[in-house]
Amino acid sequence: MSQAAEFDLRFSSASQAETGSFKLLELPPELCKLIEASVDGTNCPSFTIKGAPDEDAVLCTTDKTYTVRSVVLSNSVCVVTRDPADDVAEGDEEMKDVAIRDQLSEIIELIPSVPRLHKLSALLRGREYDEGHEDDEEMSEDENGVPIKRRRFTYEDARAMIQASDGELDRGLRDRRVLILKGELRPIAPSHLTAILELILTSLVSDSLSYSSAPVSTLLSALEGEHDIRRDVARQVMAWFGSISKQDGAEIWEMDADAVVREVGLGILRAHRDDPVIEKEFLAQWRKAVGDTFEERVSLTLLSGNYLTSSDTLSDPPIPLFTYFPSAALPVEPGARFAELFLTRPRWKADEIVPFLSDIAVDSKERDKLLLKHARAITDSEGIWYTARAKYNA
Amino acid sequence: MLISVNISLPGPSTPSRRALPPQLVQFGTDELVLIELQGALEVEGNKDGQLVGKLRVDPATKKPTLLIGHHLLEGKLVNLSKPLAVMHRYDHTTSSDAHGAEDDAMNLDREGSQRPAENDARRWDIVAVVKRKMVFSRRPMPIVGRPSGSAGAPLSRIGSKP
Repeated sequence: MSQAAEFDLRFSSASQAETGSFKLLELPPELCKLIEASVDGTNCPSFTIKGAPDEDAVLCTTDKTYTVRSVVLSNSVCVVTRDPADDVAEGDEEMKDVAIRDQLSEIIELIPSVPRLHKLSALLRGREYDEGHEDDEEMSEDENGVPIKRRRFTYEDARAMIQASDGELDRGLRDRRVLILKGELRPIAPSHLTAILELILTSLVSDSLSYSSAPVSTLLSALEGEHDIRRDVARQVMAWFGSISKQDGAEIWEMDADAVVREVGLGILRAHRDDPVIEKEFLAQWRKAVGDTFEERVSLTLLSGNYLTSSDTLSDPPIPLFTYFPSAALPVEPGARFAELFLTRPRWKADEIVPFLSDIAVDSKERDKLLLKHARAITDSEGIWYTARAKYNA
Repeated sequence: MLISVNISLPGPSTPSRRALPPQLVQFGTDELVLIELQGALEVEGNKDGQLVGKLRVDPATKKPTLLIGHHLLEGKLVNLSKPLAVMHRYDHTTSSDAHGAEDDAMNLDREGSQRPAENDARRWDIVAVVKRKMVFSRRPMPIVGRPSGSAGAPLSRIGSKP
């Protein structure tokens, strides 16, 4: 047997029908580990390929997204196994036949990719959840006053349409402050979110609860009873701004105080997109909103990347002014972002421009590369200034 | 559109499918080997069950050779820089792959369980992770005057010159 290691290579008996039923997928090392770990483990990962016909497909694991690209080979690769139709139970190794199941001339490459969440904002437009919507009317009226059912956009819809892994989608929804109400996705109105957070802070103080371990049910009842905040809404807001854990059978909320204080500050700042607010007044308003307990957490660094400073030069001494300027509303593409930044201001100090670049560069090295490419550095007595490299609209 | 990709590798939890002869296993996995050829095998008409050629593995040198008609190809073992997952389209009519044998009892079984399978029409299974392949990259050598395994194989034109 070992002498005559000779086999008959045949097309499988179902070869015609099986053409095109095999594909080769090149595995990045981390995916290969994941798959191999599943063989002897109990956790069996499952992947999903997502994409509309007009999109490039992606492959999603539970927490990562990969772009799928087909690479054509000049050679052909035969997938060879035993012929599944051969009925030999015992003594397999005596069989001389091996079968070509399929012939392939391309392999699929996977390239790590950022989750494609940008479609979310368009899909969620007009579905905002605000104070007035608290009855959760699923009916709206058409122009003749006939009630029509609003089409729901559910979490499952988003899973099917958004090219991101479940983990990344969940994080994206959380970052965008999107509520899941009875399966439906409803982004919360920023003003309503601020209001709820302020109510949470007041409730914590009035019921003398510790913000690092507040009983969830007490807080939810207080918000529902006194302020008509729906429990499922309040609960999700609490989960965004802290962590809920079980202790001795009761659920305990550990608040992320800085995140709450920040969001409240943003809520106040949001009103000042076009008319600047005096720094002193803004800080006073912010401190008042968060209350005595959290006053000392109020700090402008929490809001970095969301405001611009200027000074009212007419008064003497000049009064520092704040304007709401969120980096999240700026273009994601670096060139466009710099163009927008230099339209807003012809020159920037390094420490002023950096907060507006942090979300498009993964680290400081990449950020400095972007600055080098898109901006011109000028040094004068006040330090380094960045100006536009090219005057596109001169 | 969603296509789910499941992992269905042989392991402790899944019964092994049909194992390949040990001489071939060293070029791939227990059940599956990738054979790379320059160009492609072209067949006229129905190729189901047709003989392609004789695949030999030299027991001493472990070198594979493939004899197709009067052409001999010399191959080698190549380690892949990145492992490849072999995906197979999940299809309830060929799902008997997973069970190995195919008989009447199986057919009856499948008819009963056909319904749930239809929901999984867009599903691929990763049936193997391969880190090696068998590559035949050299030009074929004509073999003359050697008794061929398959009688009546067409005489190669390359090898016909004296």
